[in-house]
Amino acid sequence: MDGGTLLHALNLVYELSTLALTTLGLAVVFGLLGVMNMAHGEFVMIGAYSVVAVQQWGLPTLAAFPLAIAVCAALGWVVERWLIRPLYRRPFDTLLATWALAMLMRKVVEAIWGKGFRNVDDALTVAVPIGNTSYPAYRLGLIALTIVLLAALVFWYRRSSAGLRVRAMTGNPMLAQALGIDTQRLASRTFIVGVVLAGAAGVMLAPLIRIEPGIGVDYLLDAFFVLVVGGLGTLGGLAGGVGVIGGSQALVSSLFGQTSGYAVVLVISILFLWLKPDGIFARR
Amino acid sequence: MASSLAAESRAASSRDPRPRGRSLWPAATLAAALIALPFAGNDFIAYQVALFLIYGIATQGVALCWGRLGFLPLGHSLFFGLGAYIAGGAAKAGAAQPLWWLAFPLALLLPALLAWVVARLIFARSMRSGPYFSLITLAMTMLGFLAAQQWSSITGGFNGMGNIPEPPGLERYSTLYWLVAAAAVASTATLGVLVGRPLGVLWRAIAQNEERMQLFGYATDHVKANAYAFSALLAAGAGALFATHQGIVTPQAMSFVLATEFVIWAAVGGKASPLGALLGAVVVGYASAELRDHFAMWEVFVGLLFIAVVRFLPDGIAGLAGLAGFGGKPARRNANVAITPLPAPPSSAPKQVPALVFDDVRSTQGGVRILDGLSFRLAGPGIRAVIGPNGAGKTSAFNVLTGRLPVTGGHIQVGGRDVTGWTAWRVARLGVGRKMQVPSVFADLSVRENLSVALWAGRLHGRAALRRAPQAWCTPLLEEMLGCFPELAASLDVPASRLSQGHRQALEFVMTVLPEPHLLLLDEPCAGLSPAETQRMIQVIVRAVRRLGAGALLIEHDLAAVAALDGEVYVLHQGRMLAQGSLQDLQADPAVRAVYAGARK
Repeated sequence: MDGGTLLHALNLVYELSTLALTTLGLAVVFGLLGVMNMAHGEFVMIGAYSVVAVQQWGLPTLAAFPLAIAVCAALGWVVERWLIRPLYRRPFDTLLATWALAMLMRKVVEAIWGKGFRNVDDALTVAVPIGNTSYPAYRLGLIALTIVLLAALVFWYRRSSAGLRVRAMTGNPMLAQALGIDTQRLASRTFIVGVVLAGAAGVMLAPLIRIEPGIGVDYLLDAFFVLVVGGLGTLGGLAGGVGVIGGSQALVSSLFGQTSGYAVVLVISILFLWLKPDGIFARR
Repeated sequence: MASSLAAESRAASSRDPRPRGRSLWPAATLAAALIALPFAGNDFIAYQVALFLIYGIATQGVALCWGRLGFLPLGHSLFFGLGAYIAGGAAKAGAAQPLWWLAFPLALLLPALLAWVVARLIFARSMRSGPYFSLITLAMTMLGFLAAQQWSSITGGFNGMGNIPEPPGLERYSTLYWLVAAAAVASTATLGVLVGRPLGVLWRAIAQNEERMQLFGYATDHVKANAYAFSALLAAGAGALFATHQGIVTPQAMSFVLATEFVIWAAVGGKASPLGALLGAVVVGYASAELRDHFAMWEVFVGLLFIAVVRFLPDGIAGLAGLAGFGGKPARRNANVAITPLPAPPSSAPKQVPALVFDDVRSTQGGVRILDGLSFRLAGPGIRAVIGPNGAGKTSAFNVLTGRLPVTGGHIQVGGRDVTGWTAWRVARLGVGRKMQVPSVFADLSVRENLSVALWAGRLHGRAALRRAPQAWCTPLLEEMLGCFPELAASLDVPASRLSQGHRQALEFVMTVLPEPHLLLLDEPCAGLSPAETQRMIQVIVRAVRRLGAGALLIEHDLAAVAALDGEVYVLHQGRMLAQGSLQDLQADPAVRAVYAGARK
């Protein structure tokens, strides 16, 4: 494999990884709990801004992880308790309430840091030689971390008793309750896991993107489209969705430019939402 | 109970002595306020308010779909922007060649047509498209935004389409205000009237229980698509006004942000109230424009307000202020309309019993055989009781017929037509009426409205849905049924959600027979009734079926009730027909006895 092809392949893997990374949180919240969390992208945004914050305070960049996790977890707990829980089984209201929450989070961040773009200092700028080419170490690390996170999530879902309880709850909440599962607490924890994953994704992406309060919308929509195309609640669905959305976007973008790539993603998503809303790998 | 209900009904009437003018007074109040505004303030204020009146008209479109029909359009700026671009283009061309002004109406019609086509395609596929529909509209708006930015030869791209002239004879900073104000009053008046007419009742019924509507034979996807097209027409009209008012249209007019604001304004103002939605846009929008730059926390406040409204005030500020009464509680308003009943036109349902044929029907779901080669033929009037142990496939047999369960093998015919896989409303239009096992009524509609919706099925054609008269329609069957169930007659203006289980059973049965179907599917109409109520229900069923000359299948567990019917009995077991005949013969049948042994003491 010559250097150019290898670089293309690595870029594609990297793009798919970031897409999977930013989708993971919503895969948990929407895929397992069935909550259409329109504020998903804003939790990613909070993660990115926690890097901005720790660098402002002169702390090491790694401190952004505990900060983002703490902030997202606390926010997730409050939001689930006061906004989501009263609205379970009212999908429109959940959608709107989380949308309002997204707006609020954007505006609060805007009030603190302003509307402008922010960049954070790159931590690992060194390039690692691979074959005939070299690739930024940070990106390679991000790919590896995504794979680790995915594996951990699958392990948690498939093997642990918590995963079993979550599956019981999503399958039949009443019966799960009757069997002595505290579904309220479980739902709360699952929601927190989801938004913390989103926040962590934001931390990891921070050095690679231009950070501004409005970045959430794109992550939200891409994540939704991945889940709709792939189907909810399975790893195969997540992988399939990432492949279809990320792959077609990368392919069309490289051929016809970025706008066309985005337009194709929108068209594919509309077609799936319309014709196959359960996705390629439907749970049923 | 009955006397207190009657008292409440009287109280409602005295509070509302002139039901006729009521639907127009919000529009009249609005008109008075808008006329006073330029005199109380100045032309500049009027110019600014006009912009938010324009947004308010589009917001009314969003509120119509969301507050009345129960589906949320997240991307209404697509139609707003399309209307603005087409109107802008037509006006610019019209400045050079006046004939081009004739193309101006296309700014309203094309977006409405687009909305109609999209909605027909989506709604026809699934009743439960709910949030997915919202996401589709959102994605479409983002596509439109991309197109507006990229297609710069037409739209002017990022810089926008500028230099749009004023409509002939109007001056942007003074007289154009009156056109905008007139449009806002007209849309408020039109919506106010519509929500009080039969169409408005149908809209709310669809929002509450779309499946029940389909079982009456309403093509709910058509009704929803028409409403969506109408709401797109409002948004596009607002867009056209926007183009002439601003003189420039940029892609922002088609953006996700504007679509979001429509939803927020509708939520805060009141999604169930046309005036509330308009005022939501004017007040919140205007205040935001004024205060955004002075208070950094203003938008945080709007966000908090939005959250609070979604969480605690489903009908927005209008609901809080009781403004929703402008159209939110037609139950009360219509209380007087039925004083002079009008004879209803004949139902369009077929007049003879459609022959029902199940030919080796199979249905499998998730590996479970629900129906396993069910075959029977039913022709001619009379009630057949359907019995069988739990899981025998009794309700499932109804479900495959009304499109609720997929048929994986065999055929079903109704009146000689193969209806395998048909949607519920198409089957219903062949004269099939169904009563559900768990009584399925429109919980938030009054009993009177519940009955009207059923009565209108197959009778409300063309423009009758826009007239007031159908609300007074009455048929001899309705009077007879109300005579049989005096408790319903006494609670006509009570929301159906307040009825007891037994009364709901009665209501749903009456609703099922009102469209005068000639094939009735009755699923445990006596479930949850006391022995005395059961006896009465069976008597009424026999009477209604005889009066209609209908054929009926009646699922029943109570063998005393089955004996009282004294007709043919079908025994289902494991998704198949086990035996059929008179109850005495079946009781002697060893196969039937084997199935029931142990089940009966």
